[in-house]
Amino acid sequence: MDTLREILDPHFLLRNSVYVSLLVGFACPAIGIFLILRRLIFMGVALPQISSTGIAFAFSLPALGLISHTHFAHFAGDERLLAFVGGLGFTIAALLLLAFLERRGRGLVEGRVGTMYVLAGAWSILLLVKNPMGERGLLDLLRGEIIAVPDPELWLTLLSFGFVGLSLFLFQKEFLLVSFDPEMAVTLKKNVLAWDLFLFVLIGLTISVAVLSVGPLVTFGFLLIPPLTARLVARNMRQFSLLACSLGGGAALLGFAIAYRLDYPVGPTDVALLGFLYGAAFLGKHGLDWFGRRFAGK
Amino acid sequence: MQESILELEDVAIGYGSRLVLGGINFSLQRGSFTGLLGSNGAGKSTLIKTILRIIPPLGGRVTFGETGGRPQVLGYVPQREALDSIFLLSSFEVVLMGACGRVRPGRFFGRVERDWAHHCLRETGTDDLSRRPFAQLSGGQRQRVLIARALATRPDLLLLDEPTAGIDAAATQAVMDLLRRLHQEQHLTILMVNHDLAAVRKSVEQVIWLHQGQVLFGPVGELLSREKIEEIMELELD
Repeated sequence: MDTLREILDPHFLLRNSVYVSLLVGFACPAIGIFLILRRLIFMGVALPQISSTGIAFAFSLPALGLISHTHFAHFAGDERLLAFVGGLGFTIAALLLLAFLERRGRGLVEGRVGTMYVLAGAWSILLLVKNPMGERGLLDLLRGEIIAVPDPELWLTLLSFGFVGLSLFLFQKEFLLVSFDPEMAVTLKKNVLAWDLFLFVLIGLTISVAVLSVGPLVTFGFLLIPPLTARLVARNMRQFSLLACSLGGGAALLGFAIAYRLDYPVGPTDVALLGFLYGAAFLGKHGLDWFGRRFAGK
Repeated sequence: MQESILELEDVAIGYGSRLVLGGINFSLQRGSFTGLLGSNGAGKSTLIKTILRIIPPLGGRVTFGETGGRPQVLGYVPQREALDSIFLLSSFEVVLMGACGRVRPGRFFGRVERDWAHHCLRETGTDDLSRRPFAQLSGGQRQRVLIARALATRPDLLLLDEPTAGIDAAATQAVMDLLRRLHQEQHLTILMVNHDLAAVRKSVEQVIWLHQGQVLFGPVGELLSREKIEEIMELELD
């Protein structure tokens, strides 16, 4: 409790990291729900990796000769913004490419997503090895260290997730309709392609901002594990959404407190905690079912 | 003279550049009940989806009549396997989706639409299932909830893709009774894909039969007579 009180203190040195963790904890599960409902879990793994490749690419622009060192130095204060643009650009491009290939209906979706994931991982490393900028923080980002979050980045995260949350709230019925029954949506004269693109942009924006703040590992963890856990116990869509976001937010706060107390990296601690909660919920649900059947049998 | 609600003129259907069936000509009158028959792969579902504008026609013209100056509203009952059970939607929420065409983006369902959804559930005898998860319903129950969802669109034309496929005899009877009642009481125009000749014969007034690249269209008494079936199927019935 003392640790929780300490990290929630407005004068706490790492308060921005706490706030960003909490924002990621609430926002990623809200968007992850749609990845699970649309059975795009592999995409939830690949997209954070692709986003981090975009960030690595943005940081490598001088080394690649695409932007002069002078220009890059000029934008040094905005390097996080450049990284955000790189991450978002790569994520949206990957989403559009995957959507285009899916509409053509050839080949295996899992194969395409898997290939993108592997290539993105390889290129992230290749772009970083010859890049002095990468050493300054990108490797920490890829490891899921959430230590120094500047104020502008906190605001970027807050505004981006605010936009995503508001869009999901306002257009929930459209997103649900085109996800559940796109053919029915067409008969109701809904522009399914436009709504799908809008949802993909929200997914891309959430992932890019989250990867920039907490790295691909933590983003992937918060995108998928809280919704999968909530799906075990929820009985309707409202419970599913509220439970997934609450689990994400709760785990982000508790994970930060544990990591701070035990001097662990925050990201992996968060993901390990989410895994523990998932395991506990799984065992609890199936254990109760087992006892119920055994009791009913007697 | 009865008013035409749907007219197909020399329509060709298929996916991409692959032609499934061509030269389709027929017209449905308002208030009619039509069965769409054919063997697997004949193009029944493709034709339904073309009429629903889910798939664009490869050629020809699909024309809809107008109701009071407004375009026709199409109610659609898909094959129930097409809907993923991962969604934690109650039957009521599924039916409410039918009202999405009338509620603008960014707006929420009001009292009128909610009451109408409950009315549609009552019409199909599924109001006791409104809180039950859609994914946990039996085949026949799901089919009736999907018909309630199609009714929630306030349709001028109801299109059903194999509403009795994979459900038991009692549930089939319940679904067909419901469709007959909706047709008789509400004068709803219905176009239904169905494999079950007996069910079709008892319910519909006219038949579209897709057979070996041909489109046969006529009254049920004529097209589903023993002699005609023997002729079409090139077999002898005992």
